[in-house]
Amino acid sequence: MKILVCIKQGLDDGKMSRFDEFALEEALALKDKLGKPGSLDVVVDVITAGPVHAVAVLKRAFGMGADRGIHIITRDIGYMPAFVTASNLAVVAGRQDYDLILTGIMSQDMMEGQTGPMLAEFLGMPCATAVVKSKMGTVPGIVRVEREMENGYKDCLDVHLPAVLTIQAGINIPRYPSLSKMLVAAKKSITTLVEEDLFSNPVSPKEFLVAIEYPDQTRAGQRLDGSLDDQVRQFQSFLQEKGLV
Amino acid sequence: MKPILIIAEVMDGSIRPVTWELIAAARVIKELMKNNVGGKKDSLKIQVIVPAQNPLPLAKKILSRTGVDVLALQIPEDTAYTSEAYKNWLSPLVRVCDPSHILVAHTSQGRDFAPGLAVRLEAISLAGVNKICSDGDLLLYYRPVLNNTRNMVLGLESDLLVVLTLMPGIFFPRVSKVKSCGSITFKKICRWSGQPVRMVHQKILKQENNHQILKTAPIIVAAGRGIGERSNLEYVFRFAKCFLASAVAASRPLVDMGWIGYDHQVGITGASVAPRLYIACGISGSSQHLAGMKESDWVVSINKNFQAPICSNADLCIVADVLPFILAFLERE
Repeated sequence: MKILVCIKQGLDDGKMSRFDEFALEEALALKDKLGKPGSLDVVVDVITAGPVHAVAVLKRAFGMGADRGIHIITRDIGYMPAFVTASNLAVVAGRQDYDLILTGIMSQDMMEGQTGPMLAEFLGMPCATAVVKSKMGTVPGIVRVEREMENGYKDCLDVHLPAVLTIQAGINIPRYPSLSKMLVAAKKSITTLVEEDLFSNPVSPKEFLVAIEYPDQTRAGQRLDGSLDDQVRQFQSFLQEKGLV
Repeated sequence: MKPILIIAEVMDGSIRPVTWELIAAARVIKELMKNNVGGKKDSLKIQVIVPAQNPLPLAKKILSRTGVDVLALQIPEDTAYTSEAYKNWLSPLVRVCDPSHILVAHTSQGRDFAPGLAVRLEAISLAGVNKICSDGDLLLYYRPVLNNTRNMVLGLESDLLVVLTLMPGIFFPRVSKVKSCGSITFKKICRWSGQPVRMVHQKILKQENNHQILKTAPIIVAAGRGIGERSNLEYVFRFAKCFLASAVAASRPLVDMGWIGYDHQVGITGASVAPRLYIACGISGSSQHLAGMKESDWVVSINKNFQAPICSNADLCIVADVLPFILAFLERE
């Protein structure tokens, strides 16, 4: 069984996007459960599309237990929407026979939540998003999932493999990279591809960035600085003024 | 002029209220595009597709309430929403309709099928749009990035079809007399569409909860990741005890980490609350959390980071580390 986990380095903090850690943990737990120790009957590959320094998230993934890493080095075009990322990932993922492709429900920086479902469509695979539970092995060739909906409802469905799942936070507790695995990771080779080589014409976004702004204030947002004593006193008078005590 | 197409959100056989917001957003776009069509905005149609097993009553409701054209789409019996089914059912209809925009709710359902539908239709797809305005002929779309601390403003390079998922709770339906008189078209989806079925809906589960305590408490003290450690929850509870009839709530990450039960979760996937006072302790304010507490009368944030989104959504922002502040408060009480 071959599993691919798509991970992203955050623009803001340089770390692996939090949701992708849950996706990777889900893949590694599946490997622990279904694979024989030390064998490669269940392989977990990790892939990232990003600039040169994005390789850091692949190394962290090795530390958590991923088997192989693929890095698509992207052009520096500033604005990189999910459509472009999913196009890049699809070319590489399409060359291998993955049974299952996992990714986080969204990235923390861009918050689109589109890479997974777009990748699935490019590859002609079914896709379930916001997965909070996944179970394999009951029926061969099927993964049974629960998708999170609003107000505490969950949608249960059977998805035929190969499939793409996007993983919601809280599905598991991601493991920390282990020192021994990190040492092995240092020796692991990463398959590096260059975006320009994937296409005769690299995919470009059809939308363009006009500006980045602060969101509108919905309330006054009166700022209270000063010493803790002052802050407590002013908080208490706020409560009294508004008749809240 | 190409029409604006809306996919109504249907659950358990009824229209979800976010559908009215989608129609309101379509009217915003229509108004903005008025200039582009030489002021003849009536030539710009809005059409709603309502997929359901029994779609006619729903279509009538939409028509009588909004006056827009409705396509009542009857889906086969024993079928339910899956992203695969929606993409298969909707894409041929969209091609016939040839719209300029497709509006979908940024909900668990909309987020699930819209991006794939856009790829299939070779359309642009923008997720979580929370504001639409124009600069001359150019429509501008706003969407949140970087944990909701910023909005990204995007323009489109061409007249390509664009699929927008719209953030709920932003576009408010106007209550006005229905002027234009649309019509209802009926269409039936045949069970066999030629494509293999690879996603089979099983059932809907409802997570047991006791959110009533949160929903009725006049004062809520809510904890987020900023409290640092699980053991610090004790101080949040002690802080809450200083207020009469208060309840302790939490943001989603604390529930995910197992620090506190689901009964305490506020947000889209937890409880929606509207207390007299909401005190957010170390909560950054994700959109999913804000949506669950924005109806509060007063919001106080205790957070060391004034840039956190909760601060643009609070009346009073105490810029401090949560724990020392709570301890100082407890000392004075």
